[in-house]
Amino acid sequence: MDYFSGLQLKDLGFLAEAAGRTLLISGVSIGIGSLVGLIFGWLLTVLGRTGRFLLNAVLDVFRSIPLLIQLVLFYNLFPIIGFSLGPFAAGTLVLTVYTVALVSNVTRSGLESVSPDLRRAARSLGLSYWQDMRHIVWPVGLRAVFPAWVGVALSVVKDSALVSVLGYVELLRASQTLITRTQEPLIILAIAGAFYFALSFPMARAASLYEKRWAQ
Amino acid sequence: MLKKLLTLFHCSALGALLASGFALADTLDEVVDRGTLRCAVVLDFPPIGYWNDNNEPAGFDVEYCKDLANSLGVEVDLIPATWSERLPLIVTGRADVVIGSTSDSLERAQTVGFSIPYAVFVSQAIVNTDSGIETFEDMRGKKVAAGVGTVQEQWYEEYADDWGDDYRYQGYQSENEVFLAVEQGKVDAGMTGNIVAGPIAQRFDNIELGPVLPFTADYVSMAGPRKDVSWLNYLNLFIQQQVRTGRYEELWAQFVGSDAPDLTVGGVYY
Amino acid sequence: MDYNFHWQPVIGRLPDLLLASLDTLQVAALSIVLGIVIGLLLAILRMNARGRWTPLQWFAVAWIEIARNTPVLFQLFFFGFGLGAWGWHLSPFMIVLAGLSFNCAGYLAENFRGGFQSIPDTQYRAARSVGMSAGQTYYHIIIPQVLRKVWHPLTNQIVWAVLMSSLGMLVGYQELTGSAQYFASRTYRIFEYFAVVALIYYALVKLILMASRMLGWRLFRSEGGV
Repeated sequence: MDYFSGLQLKDLGFLAEAAGRTLLISGVSIGIGSLVGLIFGWLLTVLGRTGRFLLNAVLDVFRSIPLLIQLVLFYNLFPIIGFSLGPFAAGTLVLTVYTVALVSNVTRSGLESVSPDLRRAARSLGLSYWQDMRHIVWPVGLRAVFPAWVGVALSVVKDSALVSVLGYVELLRASQTLITRTQEPLIILAIAGAFYFALSFPMARAASLYEKRWAQ
Repeated sequence: MLKKLLTLFHCSALGALLASGFALADTLDEVVDRGTLRCAVVLDFPPIGYWNDNNEPAGFDVEYCKDLANSLGVEVDLIPATWSERLPLIVTGRADVVIGSTSDSLERAQTVGFSIPYAVFVSQAIVNTDSGIETFEDMRGKKVAAGVGTVQEQWYEEYADDWGDDYRYQGYQSENEVFLAVEQGKVDAGMTGNIVAGPIAQRFDNIELGPVLPFTADYVSMAGPRKDVSWLNYLNLFIQQQVRTGRYEELWAQFVGSDAPDLTVGGVYY
Repeated sequence: MDYNFHWQPVIGRLPDLLLASLDTLQVAALSIVLGIVIGLLLAILRMNARGRWTPLQWFAVAWIEIARNTPVLFQLFFFGFGLGAWGWHLSPFMIVLAGLSFNCAGYLAENFRGGFQSIPDTQYRAARSVGMSAGQTYYHIIIPQVLRKVWHPLTNQIVWAVLMSSLGMLVGYQELTGSAQYFASRTYRIFEYFAVVALIYYALVKLILMASRMLGWRLFRSEGGV
């Protein structure tokens, strides 16, 4: 019977494919989540007191509950309220909302970091609100946001490992599958860890170099 | 005015009829209409369910899923699950059926519907060679593991009051982690099914077959939506046919390699 | 989908869940304390890497980068069955503690480094030139400023540790999430249990943030708060 067998070369392909799914689910979530997060972050700087409070309260929920719980809860909630989502769709949705909650936070603080003096100067030079936004606040604010955003994006890539609990075969789930078959936890975990490191480390380095150069 | 009201009444009655007509569709209709059977299996339970060396699902339960799909003339969509994920998959409607060695306990029957048993196991321990465990009594005071949400876990817990401080239990998310824990010596013994224990003990130098556990026979059933009696009826008939046609014997011989156990219980109707 | 909620069993288990949340707080608190101590050491090691790198500095950099660039769930698995393959057996509690401390130390080390580097050398020299000892300089001048700089990220890290301790469930530790799953595994009503557990986490996080804000206000009020 073939239910246990050693590690083979094609298993690396199996892991690489799963790493592709890790990139896919985190890429989609980061893409959509960042766009919506930018808009919400901006809204948080312009809304009235009540609106800001409400929006912040909602976003805050997703920062105050473990991602693991969010995933399991929503995965089970969707079918209860009438539409069944597969592991990928449910995982993407939860990760996206999680990204929105994090990105809106860093966006808000980035935009608020643009000094009021600078903006007053811009307005007194005759720039309209939108011109001020377009030429002053966004360029200056976003540059301040960028390093924090990279941090958020990288944490979403890593946290996407939790989607494995929904049965989505991303990198970590695939390595568990292989461990089941080969009973070689150490080497398989090491390979999976190296994959994550190779995804995350270059981006982190690039961001910190960018930050350093910009700070000078 | 009256006429208008009557037409309105008619329309809404028709609407209600249509709506209830759709609501009445059972899982059987849905599966045939969809063209796929969403069948949940547990794949770290060799030889009942496992990943073969092409990293594809295989095993006794997997073949049962395929046979069931064939009988309905639909494709099979296998959903790999851990022990504790099995029943939520049914409750929330993400799987049509679980063929995952699910013991038909009364507690679970409050949540999902069960078919008649399609296989039966005996609970048996696998032990680390250094553990010195030979009888069930020897497991007292030793670290014992099982999968979270298995009946072995629940049955073992019934000894907790008796044993007091000698009761040392560790739950793991999957059966495979139980095997690994015994193999690495993290725990002294793991509780599983007898036919799984055999291959595991053969595979690892430092795992050997432990005592048969003093639990009741572990009849395992297919699980489906609790209220969907027509679907459960179909599953019952399917299990009957598998035995009648000799497919049950055939698959059991292929994967387990011994005589297929009798699925009836003497002295009582199901 | 006609789903009928069963809340009664969860309500009955509420005292057990609250007790389990103490385990959550305990493992999170310990991992933060360890994370701070190790993080400080790592930060100091890494900052002293000028020109030539010694093995110790490589060690610090490797720790920091691995902690920051791999998923914490991977780290927990590694401390579980990974180390187990070498015959090192940590209990589930120790796996969670080791994993979270390892991770916290990596992140906090970078926060501390940023905090130390933001304080100009001139302050140190000025303090020494008015007759303060090195210890006094650190105690009165450097540390308070660094503490203020890292207060916010440190609070975030504490919240993070509480949230991520939920992964204990996946390595067999029965903290809040693990216990909830264990109780739910009897009747498989996981949604109801996790909904209640989500509320408990929310309350815990709010309490931590409130405590941090109050403590921060007391510590830094002379400088206008955080």
